[in-house]
Amino acid sequence: MKNVRIWFKKDFECRYISHLDLNRTMLRALHKSKIPIWHTEGFNPHPFATFPLPLSLGFRGVNECMDVRLEDEDYSFEEIKDKLNDCLPRGIRVFNVTEAIMKAGKVAFASFTIKLSLPNKPSGLVCRQLEELLSQSTIEVEKKSKKGIKTVDIKQGIKEYSVKEQFDFAELDIVLAAGSSDNVNPNLLISALESRTGEEYETDVTRNDLYTENSEPFR
Amino acid sequence: MVSKEVEKLLLKVQKPGRYVGGELNEVIKDKRKVAVRFAFCFPDTYEVGMSHLGMKILYSQFNKVEDIWCERVFAPWVDMEEEMRKHNIPLYALESGDPLSDFDFIGFTLQYELSFSNMLNMLRLGNVPITTKKRGEELKNIVVAGGPCACNPEPVADFVDLFFIGEGEEVDLEVIDLFRKCKAEGKSKSEFLRMCADIEGVYVPSLYEVDYNPDGTIKSFMPKDGAPAVIHKRLMTDMDSSYYPDNFIVPLVEIVHDRAVQEIFRGCIRGCRFCQAGFIYRPVREKSPDTINAQCRALCENTGYDEVSLSSLSSSDYSRIVELLEKLLEWTGDEKVSISLPSLRVDGFTDEIMNKIKTVRKSGLTFAPEAGSQRMRDVINKNVQHDELMQTCATAFAGGWTTVKLYFMIGLPTETMDDVADIAHLGQDVVNTYYNTPNRSKGKSVRVTVSASSFVPKPFTPFQWEPQDTIPVLHEKQKHIIDSITSKKIQFNYHDADTSFLEAVFARGDRKLCRVMELACDRGFHFDGWNDCFRLEKWLELFEECGIDPAFYANRRRDFDEILPWDHIDYGVTKRFLQKECQKAYNNQTTPHCRLECSGCGAAKYGKGVCFEKRQDMV
Repeated sequence: MKNVRIWFKKDFECRYISHLDLNRTMLRALHKSKIPIWHTEGFNPHPFATFPLPLSLGFRGVNECMDVRLEDEDYSFEEIKDKLNDCLPRGIRVFNVTEAIMKAGKVAFASFTIKLSLPNKPSGLVCRQLEELLSQSTIEVEKKSKKGIKTVDIKQGIKEYSVKEQFDFAELDIVLAAGSSDNVNPNLLISALESRTGEEYETDVTRNDLYTENSEPFR
Repeated sequence: MVSKEVEKLLLKVQKPGRYVGGELNEVIKDKRKVAVRFAFCFPDTYEVGMSHLGMKILYSQFNKVEDIWCERVFAPWVDMEEEMRKHNIPLYALESGDPLSDFDFIGFTLQYELSFSNMLNMLRLGNVPITTKKRGEELKNIVVAGGPCACNPEPVADFVDLFFIGEGEEVDLEVIDLFRKCKAEGKSKSEFLRMCADIEGVYVPSLYEVDYNPDGTIKSFMPKDGAPAVIHKRLMTDMDSSYYPDNFIVPLVEIVHDRAVQEIFRGCIRGCRFCQAGFIYRPVREKSPDTINAQCRALCENTGYDEVSLSSLSSSDYSRIVELLEKLLEWTGDEKVSISLPSLRVDGFTDEIMNKIKTVRKSGLTFAPEAGSQRMRDVINKNVQHDELMQTCATAFAGGWTTVKLYFMIGLPTETMDDVADIAHLGQDVVNTYYNTPNRSKGKSVRVTVSASSFVPKPFTPFQWEPQDTIPVLHEKQKHIIDSITSKKIQFNYHDADTSFLEAVFARGDRKLCRVMELACDRGFHFDGWNDCFRLEKWLELFEECGIDPAFYANRRRDFDEILPWDHIDYGVTKRFLQKECQKAYNNQTTPHCRLECSGCGAAKYGKGVCFEKRQDMV
């Protein structure tokens, strides 16, 4: 048995499916591909797959990963990639298969590219609004959880950022705390901006890479 | 394929994955290279529509033809509809993202009367005029419809250019062939429609004139321009050679029936007198176990589904069910595929079947005795005995099951309050059976769910002349069941009587209702099958405005010699047979099922299926 990490992109139509739907889609593709994956041993056995860090509905992911256990240790990684791609919708593309070097719990940060724009307003304005928000000492935002709405400060979860003015949008590159304990969803940042300016932005969020506590790329 | 404009809306609505397409096995063609573009529209949400087997069959079959591109269109949920209207985005097909108005054919499947308003709403969202008259003479935007509700097409006759009567696999392609020809010859839409009327199984409502009596009943129904006086249904005579997809689109988001579906036969041998499907799909035609086995396997291989459902109107009536399950079990275990058998009859749940299903998956058990008292079950010809039900439940309880769902109907013809109370009593008997089953699951409690829906009289059934109980009477009966339940082990659910009333109006409606439908569309009615949107009061206002009494359609007893709005359509089952069955119902008399004895319904004229099987008593 070998722990294998499958790296994929989630984009186009598949941007719009939830993590649960992604999970279902992946399990079905694994089942169809007949790759020798370890199955759960319950009454309804199904392929066992875990995701180190779920991606929100609506975000593009260019370096996403999923872990499975390979029963046949000599099975080629290249074949896993090709077979899975044959079984997946076009919005999900596997581009690499590696051994799972780090434990999933090592994920501590994620980098995003967020494009923001306001209809009929210059992108420079949006850049300034972003800079103003991000330079605050605290950024408080309402967060809905199962227990109700609470106010959280997301400033501590912002590791670094840069704002660039593009032709018709503002581009924010940002590294945010990620993982099971301190997670900052870019949607929180966007809603902080919206409640500050009273505007409704068109947004396009891409998650780029995952990092460990020491800013090493997650592998 | 999603346009930039649509993308901007997707993050504002619930479950945007419904509006994007891009699923595994979706068919994309080059629109410049196809001759016929067909928009297959399902007048409900993506999750409901994508679960529909008929759509999967026809989608695949159309797209197998090189120059036809069939795409899917679903009704956007109310949040998405609002956004689309606000931003002037017309309803589009998932594959190309092109608006409905770009299509040669716009086809609807009518599964349920309360989806009629969605059909019109979808046309309007797609910028297609809703009435036949306003769509013009160009050979484009031809609105076609089929499905069970097409058996009485009259309430939507003004909106649909042509209806497919019966099974669509062959007749759809014949109409498309004629379209290609007419297009090449530069024919007008009315010329095309007139020629279509000569194809068996095609009904063109604009070619008929209806006259009414002063009391509102139909005086005459006359064909114009040499159109046929009677429209005969089409059906597939050999199921083994009928087209069946080896591939389904695999949705990105969870749908209602998220599994492979394998049709095992069409029709039903039983002849329950309330059930329209039991009559309009006659005669029963089975696929062979080998065909089913091969088709199941191909479907699972191509989709990755790990569950396959053996679908039919009554799956335990499949004549070689054990042989079939054995064949399937040869590979499903290794492939980690489970089999589910929906629509099990009370008398079809044998130890042998149970053990075979149980090896893969233990799902809930659902039975439909339909009525509480034996007399009532004889009236509706359910042919299920009280002891059989108890025996079946005991078998299930001994096999480890602890929950049973029981489906009933209230408002059936001749029903008394005692019959209604017997629904509760039957539930109690099942609870008692549990505690009298010695080898039941120890230490577990039993849960019996009793559901009661309201009877809706439907065309082409022996009860097509019957009045529906009024809403107050249905409410009284619902309350009577609640009062008659004494055990906490029984959970009681019932369907909204308002919905059933409107369903009854449209099920047996005539062309006068088209005006109501048109007005409903103007007022933005949609999703009437959903409690989120349905308000009977709004409909009653429309009826009032049009001067139409809905009770005329729902609650009136019709004479056997009245001309019914659907009398010009022939489903093989004769009116004389339906009348005989209705009389037998009044006398509490049952009719044996097709495999025991032929009851002479008329479906034998198709020359195939169960009518020509060897019966056990024949040598």
